[in-house]
Amino acid sequence: MIKAQDLRKNYGENVAVDGLSFQIAAGETFGLLGPNGAGKTTTISMLVGLLAPDSGTVEVGDASPGESDPTHPKVRTLIGIAPQSLSLYEDLTAKENLRFFGQLYGLSGGHLNERVTWALEFAELNDRKNDRVKTYSGGMKRRLNIAVALIHEPRILLLDEPTVGVDPQSRNHIFESIHRLQKQGMTILYTTHYMEEAQRLCDRVAIVDQGKLLALDSVSGLIANHGGTSVVKAELMGSADPQLVESLHGGSLEGSTVRFESDRPLEQVAELTSKGMQFSTLNIAQPDLESVFLALTGRSLRDG
Amino acid sequence: MNRILKMAMKDLKLLLRDKMGAFFIIGFPILMGLFFGLIMGNMGSTGGGGSQMRICIVDQDNSSLSQKFIESFQQNESVELKEMADLETARESVRKGQRVAMLVLTEGFGETAGVFWGEAPTIQIGADPSRAAESAMLQGFVMEAIGSLAGSRFQDQDLMNDFLEKSRQDLEDNESISVANRLLMKTFLGSVEGMVESIDALQTESDESSAAPGGEEGFQFANIEAIDVTRTIDPKSQRGQVMKMKSRWDVSFPQAMMWGVLACCAGFAISIAQERTQGTLTRLQVAPVSKFEIIGGKALACFISVIAVIALMTVLGIQLGMRPKNFPLLILAAVCVSFCFVGIMMVMSVLGKTEQSVNGAGWAINMVMAMLGGCMIPVMFMPQFMQSLSVVSPIRWAILSIEGAIWRDFSFTEMLLPCGILLAIGASGVAVGVQVLKRTT
Repeated sequence: MIKAQDLRKNYGENVAVDGLSFQIAAGETFGLLGPNGAGKTTTISMLVGLLAPDSGTVEVGDASPGESDPTHPKVRTLIGIAPQSLSLYEDLTAKENLRFFGQLYGLSGGHLNERVTWALEFAELNDRKNDRVKTYSGGMKRRLNIAVALIHEPRILLLDEPTVGVDPQSRNHIFESIHRLQKQGMTILYTTHYMEEAQRLCDRVAIVDQGKLLALDSVSGLIANHGGTSVVKAELMGSADPQLVESLHGGSLEGSTVRFESDRPLEQVAELTSKGMQFSTLNIAQPDLESVFLALTGRSLRDG
Repeated sequence: MNRILKMAMKDLKLLLRDKMGAFFIIGFPILMGLFFGLIMGNMGSTGGGGSQMRICIVDQDNSSLSQKFIESFQQNESVELKEMADLETARESVRKGQRVAMLVLTEGFGETAGVFWGEAPTIQIGADPSRAAESAMLQGFVMEAIGSLAGSRFQDQDLMNDFLEKSRQDLEDNESISVANRLLMKTFLGSVEGMVESIDALQTESDESSAAPGGEEGFQFANIEAIDVTRTIDPKSQRGQVMKMKSRWDVSFPQAMMWGVLACCAGFAISIAQERTQGTLTRLQVAPVSKFEIIGGKALACFISVIAVIALMTVLGIQLGMRPKNFPLLILAAVCVSFCFVGIMMVMSVLGKTEQSVNGAGWAINMVMAMLGGCMIPVMFMPQFMQSLSVVSPIRWAILSIEGAIWRDFSFTEMLLPCGILLAIGASGVAVGVQVLKRTT
């Protein structure tokens, strides 16, 4: 559905995107995960034709290469974008914003009314539809921002950091909305610097840093390949055989606390229990995308 | 075109919802129009109350003749007369500059007013020393009113009879008059009495015959008609231009229109930067909308709002006394002005990337254009070098084209110069603005 090939974009001396390549299949939710300034928004801007890449190509849709340029009017109707900055007219109401943008995509009459009604329900803003956007909370504005992107029934939805500055309730609402869209078969490109969100929502995740693609795989694949092993920390009830602890991968014993690393932590804990070790508390830290990013860059994702 | 219209309608809706913006486009120009109109005073041939000489009068005689004098004065359209009870109040009003002069009708005024012999009636005039010319004019008005009293005296038989009887008595009592003179005077008084009776009879007949032309005119010493001896005035001179005006609003409302136009211009220039900063430009750009349509929507909204401002100010001006001479030419001027300022708006919109920078730069340019172009002081009242300099301001040509249709009585050919310049400025502005906007978006 989307094919980016060796995309490069410089702003003067600064390299924003450095040879990024990926493909997104129809119906897939694809995550671009990286710290602030990694080049995610620049990449999205090139995917929708807002920015021309210095080199590389972008193809969107199923049409022939000549008609898959993102600036082609037909391709534009395939894409809905919810930019990171709230792109709404604050002095218009939710309904007026939806109607205006719907009209720009050629909707009119009954169909426009139907879509506006659908979008207001999607954003759960029916009771506030006639209020000006400037009176909304941050979460309501974010929801409307996504609803506006969907007003013309696009096949591809680009969500650029859609949960920035959002309260937990609205964040959950956004996640639920995305799950609904996934079920409907929508192709979604989701950029975020929250690894929990990428882990929760995305089928595949591309980890980017300083404009470069560091890794691209499913969440489980990334963790398996780059996340390392689980770390087990346990408090002993009674004593432990020091030789047994030392035989464990990365095993150590400090007072009554045992620590070791394992690819199959639960199975190994069971084996130790059968050998007479008894635990009062057990803490298993599984690797996640944070671990993957740390492993790939030597920095924490939140350091960015 | 449909999308351009939708975008223009959206922008107009946003404009109307911005209370401060709407104030600067509509409210502020009205205030400016009223302010400049009021300070221009009695400019124009129908300047209204401002052209009247404000005087006061104290009637110490309280006779029917003194009342007739006051009535006669009140009919004079050049004078606004206020009757005051006492001398001190009247003197104070002149001292404080509230009145140009005071008149006092002293006791005995009614006995001799309007009579051609004997002692003349006394009228005291106290005038503001700084208003010598008006004081001289007032003396003329007084003489005119006294003259009209003579007519009144002849028309009122009882009044005249009383006066003739008193005169006969005085004649009898005065022993210094010779017999021959006394006889002569008695004969004269008899003739006057006969004439008064004749006039009375004639008036009675005239009243009965309503068809008699000029029957209500009454007796007059002379029919005074004004002869226009005004020297030839160059129509291009300041005085020549002022004489063409019908009212002060003819000048102040074109100025007011320009303030509204400038506010529209700045408002829409800022709105383009606003689209950029609030991210809505991103949505417009990713929609199947061309850059031409995005820019066209802004231009159309600006054009419509400028036309609306000019139309609104015209209606308000007409309510106050502005009388446009040529509506088709006014429409032509409005279209040219709107196009010109759409172009200027386009250039302003690319002067900065943020609303603040566009706002600052836009209003700085606006103020210079306004000052040079005659938004504050009409160009014709500027020193010569400033008048020459004002040609660089589009405001000058905009005001000239609007005034050409309102009071300068321009022909279509005369309108071509200001309108052509406005169109050229507009076209250049659109070209520059569109090119830069295309590059920056």
